[in-house]
Amino acid sequence: MTPALLGNLGVSLALAFSLLGLSLALLAYLQGDGRFLRGARALVLPAFLAALAAFLALEWGLLTHDFSLAYVARNHATQDPLWVTLVTPWAALEGSILLWGLLQTLYTLLASRKALDPWRASLVLAVLFGIQVFFFGVMATIASPFQTLPNPPADGTGPNPLLQNHWMMAVHPVLMYLGFVGLSVPFAYAVAAMVTRRYQTWVEETRWWALIAWGFLTAGKVAGMWWSYEVLGWGGYWAWDPVENASFIPWLLATAFLHTAIVQQARGAFKVWNFAFVTLAFAATVLGTFLTRSGVIMSVHAFAEGPVGPAFLGFFLLATGLGLGLLSRVSREVRDTAVFRPLSREGALLLGAFFFAGWALVVLLGTFYPLLAEAFGGAKVSVGAPFFNQLSAPIGAGILLLMGVGPLLPWRRPRAEVFRNLYALLAALVLGTLLGLLRGYTFGASLAVGLFLYNLLAIFLLVREGVVGRVRAGLSPWGYLGNRRRVGSLVVHFAVALMGLGIAFSQTYRLEAEKTLYRGQAWAVGGVRMEFQGVRALNEGRRFAVEALLRTDRFGEVRPRLHFYPQMNAPLPSPKVIYTPGNDYYFLLMDFDREKGEWASVRLIVTPLVFWMWVAGGLMALGTLYILWPQGLGAEAREVSPA
Amino acid sequence: MRWLALLFLFLSAWAQSGPPPDLSPEVFAIARELRCPVCQGESAAESNAGVAVEMRRIIAEMLQQGKTEAEIKAFFVDRYGDWILYEPPRRGATLWVWVLPLVGLFLLGLGLFAYFRPKRPLPPELLEEAERRLKEPPA
Repeated sequence: MTPALLGNLGVSLALAFSLLGLSLALLAYLQGDGRFLRGARALVLPAFLAALAAFLALEWGLLTHDFSLAYVARNHATQDPLWVTLVTPWAALEGSILLWGLLQTLYTLLASRKALDPWRASLVLAVLFGIQVFFFGVMATIASPFQTLPNPPADGTGPNPLLQNHWMMAVHPVLMYLGFVGLSVPFAYAVAAMVTRRYQTWVEETRWWALIAWGFLTAGKVAGMWWSYEVLGWGGYWAWDPVENASFIPWLLATAFLHTAIVQQARGAFKVWNFAFVTLAFAATVLGTFLTRSGVIMSVHAFAEGPVGPAFLGFFLLATGLGLGLLSRVSREVRDTAVFRPLSREGALLLGAFFFAGWALVVLLGTFYPLLAEAFGGAKVSVGAPFFNQLSAPIGAGILLLMGVGPLLPWRRPRAEVFRNLYALLAALVLGTLLGLLRGYTFGASLAVGLFLYNLLAIFLLVREGVVGRVRAGLSPWGYLGNRRRVGSLVVHFAVALMGLGIAFSQTYRLEAEKTLYRGQAWAVGGVRMEFQGVRALNEGRRFAVEALLRTDRFGEVRPRLHFYPQMNAPLPSPKVIYTPGNDYYFLLMDFDREKGEWASVRLIVTPLVFWMWVAGGLMALGTLYILWPQGLGAEAREVSPA
Repeated sequence: MRWLALLFLFLSAWAQSGPPPDLSPEVFAIARELRCPVCQGESAAESNAGVAVEMRRIIAEMLQQGKTEAEIKAFFVDRYGDWILYEPPRRGATLWVWVLPLVGLFLLGLGLFAYFRPKRPLPPELLEEAERRLKEPPA
């Protein structure tokens, strides 16, 4: 047995089991026969085990330096540290498709364990098996991770140095894929609901899956932001790069769904929106993969390009066509007939969902525009951060505004006492903004302060309302914490407000300067004084490092580095970041005197409130986890019951 | 000492022509709006490719000569075309990238307005008719 043999066997078996499972699940639905469903269910675990075997085969090939595998030869080197070797399966295209396929089988396994009526269960399984057929089909044909080389090299080149530089690279892609793949289950549920024409029960079940996927996507995005901040050496966390955009679009659409789903649960309305958002969110993950893995768009993230573009494009069209086609078939039955008032909880939720969907549209248009302009007009154009920032700022402000007022509004129509709350909120918004303006901030930053205070007050009012209600009813105020969905969503909302503040200030008040310092020379900039004391070279095996010794007045000795990798012809700066709650100080070594080490060119970037972006990211993950934590419903039921 | 020799091999590949110039925050503000011509989607402020380093040097020099931001951007547009600007100009081939999202948002808003518009109540004759039919015994 060799890794190649085991891997090919695993991929083929996973494909075979998925094809068989797809056929049995379809038969189960069409014939209404439970035996076929049992058969399809029985194939879920074997498909997962076959995928796991294939994945372990790739790890085996990497750990034993089996350079007869093309993937290992291209992405691995004998001197790679163990943790880099272990995460190399998702360092390039074929391996990441394998990881994607493995996680897909895992989600299918988990989804098949959930109780559903036999008709929907067969359809959910059919869709999930269908997706597996696509992924393992791609691996079996055009992007095999187990292709062998006739003349294996003695050693490989190792993965892209950018991927070896930070442990976050072990975490970020897995979180992203868990999020992407997680959206396939809501899609399967939506298809099943539309085919069987059962429109109400699906939303509760789907929301749970969508929240899991959303939590992973959020954590993955924040992890990616932190990775680019710590590694790429540009001192930023968001560049509106096509790859970032490609994963931001499904996040936005999933967020829209999480909000409109609440309305269907409470009032039975917005079914069309829910089906549309779930379909589009899933389709957007596939489109994003097409966009970023086909080489049609230039991206700093283009670690994993390959010949899979057309396959993903076809799969995207198929998934979108299936979802939207079914939706148009049932659209008469799911149409909303009730009258909606904008000034109600459902009004705010729908408006919010439209902000998210509109934002997704803006990002999609901006990302695709260069591609379309070149394809049709032949013009080469750039659409970058300044464009996205200008259009995103008002949308983001609108979302922050709705986020405060929405949860305070009652369903259907506001009562008179609600207006008192609204006036208090408005006062907080105006006061906060004025305070910012008086302190000399720009209008945008002042508005961010106002919106932060406004949201803080909204959360306080909501918590007070809930706690006072419980006390009046003779219940313990701490029982409020048992309302996991409410408390968790408040934590997430607080985190979003905090992130809004962080984004506004870090984008507005960023100081960046660069200076060549001679030995013993001092530089005072951005509130820091540093003295250059010389450079030092280090041999770290797979790379060389050169570090500048800077003595600062506030942080002691700081040593930003340059890394030299044999695979790269230019050095990679490795920044030294000092995190503080106020400002982050980001030191970079840009260049140095290679003859005598007499001078070094140093860049300092001072960015306010970035620290709080990571805190907010962590809070978003924690809030989601709190909602999803098991026993939440049980505890809530115990609290509410009088016994 | 073999690795030192190797390091120098790298260093020689990475040509050096004296210390780089000092760059003020204004240089970065302008460089952030310009695309690095050879990089994969990075701005001239972020990239460490030779061209980007050179662009930052040119921006610093032009600022010292008292040139304005618009003049500096025009200089790069002359060399590379509008493609060098990360903020697409609101004319020609890139006008639509600004217009389309606004049209899209406007249409979304219009749809939303239609959705929330109070539905007109049914005319009283129809209601009366329906009520009358309800009271009638089924035929």
